[in-house]
Amino acid sequence: MFGYVRPFQPELKCRDYDLYRATYCGLCRCLRRRYGLTASLLLNFDFTFLALLLWEPEDRFTPCRGRCHVNPLRRLPMCPGSEALELAADESVILAWWKLRDSVQDEGFWRGLPARALSLVLRPACRRAARRCPDFDRTVHSCLAELSALEREGCPSLDRTADAFARLLQSAAARDGARGRVLSQLLYHLGRWIYLADARDDLEEDKLAGRYNPVAARYGPEGDDSALRLTMDLSLEQMGAALQLGDFGCRRPLLENIIYLGLPLVERAVFDGSWRELKKQKIWGNDT
Amino acid sequence: MRDPYSVLGVSQSASDEEVKKAYRELARKYHPDNYQNNPLADLAEEKMKEINEAYDTITRQRAGGYSGSSDRGYGGGYSYQQSYTSASSNPVYARVRNLINAGDLGQAEQLLYGVGQKDGEWYFLSGSIAYRKGWMDEAMQNYTRAVQLEPNNMEYRQALTIMQRGSMGGYRPAGYSSVGCDPCTTYLCCSLCTPWGGPCC
Repeated sequence: MFGYVRPFQPELKCRDYDLYRATYCGLCRCLRRRYGLTASLLLNFDFTFLALLLWEPEDRFTPCRGRCHVNPLRRLPMCPGSEALELAADESVILAWWKLRDSVQDEGFWRGLPARALSLVLRPACRRAARRCPDFDRTVHSCLAELSALEREGCPSLDRTADAFARLLQSAAARDGARGRVLSQLLYHLGRWIYLADARDDLEEDKLAGRYNPVAARYGPEGDDSALRLTMDLSLEQMGAALQLGDFGCRRPLLENIIYLGLPLVERAVFDGSWRELKKQKIWGNDT
Repeated sequence: MRDPYSVLGVSQSASDEEVKKAYRELARKYHPDNYQNNPLADLAEEKMKEINEAYDTITRQRAGGYSGSSDRGYGGGYSYQQSYTSASSNPVYARVRNLINAGDLGQAEQLLYGVGQKDGEWYFLSGSIAYRKGWMDEAMQNYTRAVQLEPNNMEYRQALTIMQRGSMGGYRPAGYSSVGCDPCTTYLCCSLCTPWGGPCC
């Protein structure tokens, strides 16, 4: 949804890079096969991370080759379809749909037009996705409703607003068993971190537009970077601690790269304002 | 029981030194300090127990079945103990502590909000509940308030210090020290900052 969750490429081993890329392409293909061409526009790094997290740890990395739909002349290594990919695909469609509905409601008639058009196109895909994961659909709907209610009333608590988004992401994985507990703790703090990073990123823009911003509501219009950074770092810390307790098989080094290097890098970029440039950078250099 | 060598992630032919090194790395990873007041602390404790047992088994086997006290090189190994053991004078606080330990945060919160008089311990416990929930900002505010009210209480101060170290605390696997904070960059920064353009210390 936001693209904040990305690996730090210079420190990636070649095999981890291949794994990442194959997962990304595999997710794209999975979205296309399950929900049609428009759905593959929803592909992003955040859900690639989710797919990596949800993958069965025993499952080894065995890429097959598939056609890239952006350029059908190219055949790229892709992860074959799997439960984790399908779940990540279903969930990205659901989240995208509810985000769109949310912005349709928030914006006026004219400014909400593109979102309205896109949500019309996505409607059948979303219906199918919601049938496949009804619980996630319900949670996303209720959490986003809660979030927009909190935003409307100008909630001064940073944690309370972030909590609504964090619970949304937390529900992306089943909670049962030791593995479920590890995943839900990790996803909770990932959601909290993403929400806060996004709020900090929008701080200036929201100030100009006179919109609610959780960081401004908590620390005043200028924000307080050191306090916000500390609280975001604490969430990263909790994610790392949770990651160490789970079994992630051959995907562990890649997940460690994202949590210990990728996210802190993005966090720094969000604070010093270089995020907009970093965001445009492709993870796949010019090797294609 | 699982094979002790696979628990430590070393081969059967590993030298004593390698076994010890692997054990120390894992012990650093699952160290109780990294999981203080963490909802997953019990899982970390289990892991710690497992690697302690594996290390003990290996050292015993290698010493030829001699079953003396093992030397884990870390003062007899780490063990977990629940953080909230100090006795509260107020019976409500004692119950709140028990509830937090049991992970029943909703009930603990409810009970705590019924207390009229807010003192240092109230803020400390409220901070602990927030921390468990992952509400780091409110945990920070409550711990700070607790320390302000009772500056001499070591328990409150320790909780606050752990939070303030932020990303400087916790475990990182080898090779994952944060980017831009590695010794080389720090050295360069230091040397550029001093008037003589050399190292500052």
